[in-house]
Amino acid sequence: MKKTGKTKASLLMVACLSLTMMLSACGSGGGPTDPAASTNTNNNNNNTTTTTTTAAAGAELDKALKGEYKGTKVTMFGPFVDADQKKFESSIKDFEDKTGIDIQYEGSKEFEATINIRVDGGSAPDIADFPQPGLLNSIAKTGKVVDLTNVLDQDKMKKNYNQSWLDMSMMDGKDGKIMAGIWNRSNVKSLVWYPKKQFDEAGYKVPQTWDEMMALTEQIAKDGDPAWAIGIESGAATGWPATDWIENIMLRTTTPENYDKWVKGELPFTSPEVKHAVDVMSKIWMNKDYVYGGTKSIVTTAFGDAPKPMFDNPPKAWFNLMGNFITSFFPTTAKVDQDYDWFYLPPIDEKYGKPVLVAGDIYAMFNDRPEVRAVMQFFTTGESIKTWVQSGGVIAPMNDASLDWYQSESDRRMAKLVQEASTLRFDGSDLMPGKVGAGTFWKGMTDYVSGTATLDDALKQIQAGWKN
Amino acid sequence: MAFKKKRKSGKWIVNIVLGFICLIWLLPTLGLLISSFRPAADILSTGWWKVLPHQEWKAAGDTIKLPKDVDLRGPIEVNGKTYTDDQLKAGVEVDGNRLIWENRRARVISIEKQGWVTSTDLTLDNYNNVITGKEYTLKNADGSETTEKGTGLSQAFWNTLTIAVPATVIPVLIASFAAYAFAWLRFPGRKTLFVIIIAMLVIPIQVALIPVLKDYTSLGLNGSYLGIWLAHTAFGLPLVTYFMYNFISQLPKDLFESAFMDGANHFTIFSKLILPLSVPALASIGIFQFLWVWNDYLVSLIFIGNQPGVQVMSMKIADLVGSRGNDWHLLTSAAFISMLMPLAIFFLLQKYFVRGLMGGSVKG
Repeated sequence: MKKTGKTKASLLMVACLSLTMMLSACGSGGGPTDPAASTNTNNNNNNTTTTTTTAAAGAELDKALKGEYKGTKVTMFGPFVDADQKKFESSIKDFEDKTGIDIQYEGSKEFEATINIRVDGGSAPDIADFPQPGLLNSIAKTGKVVDLTNVLDQDKMKKNYNQSWLDMSMMDGKDGKIMAGIWNRSNVKSLVWYPKKQFDEAGYKVPQTWDEMMALTEQIAKDGDPAWAIGIESGAATGWPATDWIENIMLRTTTPENYDKWVKGELPFTSPEVKHAVDVMSKIWMNKDYVYGGTKSIVTTAFGDAPKPMFDNPPKAWFNLMGNFITSFFPTTAKVDQDYDWFYLPPIDEKYGKPVLVAGDIYAMFNDRPEVRAVMQFFTTGESIKTWVQSGGVIAPMNDASLDWYQSESDRRMAKLVQEASTLRFDGSDLMPGKVGAGTFWKGMTDYVSGTATLDDALKQIQAGWKN
Repeated sequence: MAFKKKRKSGKWIVNIVLGFICLIWLLPTLGLLISSFRPAADILSTGWWKVLPHQEWKAAGDTIKLPKDVDLRGPIEVNGKTYTDDQLKAGVEVDGNRLIWENRRARVISIEKQGWVTSTDLTLDNYNNVITGKEYTLKNADGSETTEKGTGLSQAFWNTLTIAVPATVIPVLIASFAAYAFAWLRFPGRKTLFVIIIAMLVIPIQVALIPVLKDYTSLGLNGSYLGIWLAHTAFGLPLVTYFMYNFISQLPKDLFESAFMDGANHFTIFSKLILPLSVPALASIGIFQFLWVWNDYLVSLIFIGNQPGVQVMSMKIADLVGSRGNDWHLLTSAAFISMLMPLAIFFLLQKYFVRGLMGGSVKG
């Protein structure tokens, strides 16, 4: 009896001790904020100096080019690895040579998961590249992102960017709206890829309206092929290609204002507008004669493998709606402009013009030092992405990026499409909070397509994501 | 005699069952190994078992050409019999032959016969890409192309080894000292301290990531080898200490008492008696800790990051797949290369491993 009492006591003590230890761990975790705070005051000093030398916003780039920041280091963290990393590094090499600033880029496939931990842990990179503005939005709210309003020359920005891009970089900071980042790379998501050579040989014509496209789909089905190659499998992100379809159709069947409301959560998924968009999509997706492998295979086909049948000879499928990055999944032997090409996903209702759905990377700044400012200012110029544009697979959102840089007719037409778009809207699921845009939206669409949920149930399920 | 016979047949059953379980466990690994030698396009289109000889329908060379205007949605007449489109898509068997669309668009049906097939199209490309690095083609302004060679796994391999060896030795060493103290030294608060260490076993490392990262930031340890050694040491210590304690506390007491009588101090006892005696335990917990560090992704992701100079294998392999997972076929060969080291360690220390597995099981 006595012994058990003793063990109980020691157990209690252990519990207390471990609790105190955890508490102290949290307490000491707060400790390092002190040096962070002191750097903050430094930053404030920097801010004051720049504001006193008025109109100096944007001056750091010139100073950097004169070699004033030689030998400094700027750390950068982003999601692109492998081939994309090589392309990025070659695009900044010239700048590094000229200025002597060493941009240390670190790419991680786990960017989305890691950046929050790094920012919370106080080891934020100088610059971070966010492929999803929704994520930056949530970090901006904590006040840890530097407001770029005074860092960049706003007149220059207005000249160099379409107003839509600038609007999209304004986010809620800790105290009011801040300019949270700048857009550096973009990709276009309203493209239907098709095997051009065989398409021409078969005598098909690129459809200009949605009805023409549906008629062509029917025609191809009669000729013996399902027209569409669709796959939405993408590991943990399964379902995202379906969101691109819905967003594209939303832009074509309702007003841009409604689209914005929908993205903000003011227009629920259960509303007739969204339901109609899914219905329009279902006319293609749910018809087994229109989809390669039938509706059932959509959920199990990886989005990157989906376009493969288009490159069989003769093609087993003809259309694939996907952003321009899909070309990296195409067989290396296929040539752009000759073997494959794209057409703009045609408008459904003339009223809404020619809307274009885009996505892109927004660069945000976490540490305010003059050399970091210089690099950020550099990233607002088309020059910063020139060699990448030449390599293909990316569209520069800046106006000073010349159309001549694009090496393929396909890329050039894409850049033109973006510049001439009547409505430019960002990928809605990337803007929505993660719980919806990268959660229930993906899952709900997958459930609907696989047949485990009815349309109404699926939409209700997606909408429920806003509540948590 | 009869009893012996029964036992023998029982042994047979056990062996068959064990063999079957082994097969189930090994089959995926075998599949991965075969896949790692297949070209990327093959991995995408067919399963690895197609490498083995198997029966398959093969085009016999004969085709049936239907009129161009045949309606695919109605019944389709072929040689006097009618089929549906779905049947012809999947293939219908007629007199030992199979009819299947060869070119549905041109309304050509192929007649296939069954035959044995082995696809022996194997390649070392996957290994080549993983070991020496992939090639990237970059276009220049004038339209010419330059090929740049990426980095392979070799740098990451050495980085991982640089991390894994100290991250195994340090905790095992500290834990052995601690285990000796807990088992054989009498000092106040001994039990309480020990129970605290055991309690640490149940705290998931995830809760410590951000606080530790904050401390590391202020100490400047982020992305350094020292930082990750310490992290792995700290996260590994509770289990290693517990394991070593269970082993060391079972050693016969008389041994130490006689050594003490002969004038040995604690350090001599530890280095001359305990260490040699606990080699099996040291080896097996060493394997555990080494495997854990070698395969770790999370701790490296947080504390060391992805700079090429310090990047570990698990992260490099994830990167090889490409930003959008377009090169996932490389995972097959990369997985095998990353398995080499743990396998070598395991086979080298295997005899200790089996002995050491019981290290914590029987308590005197």
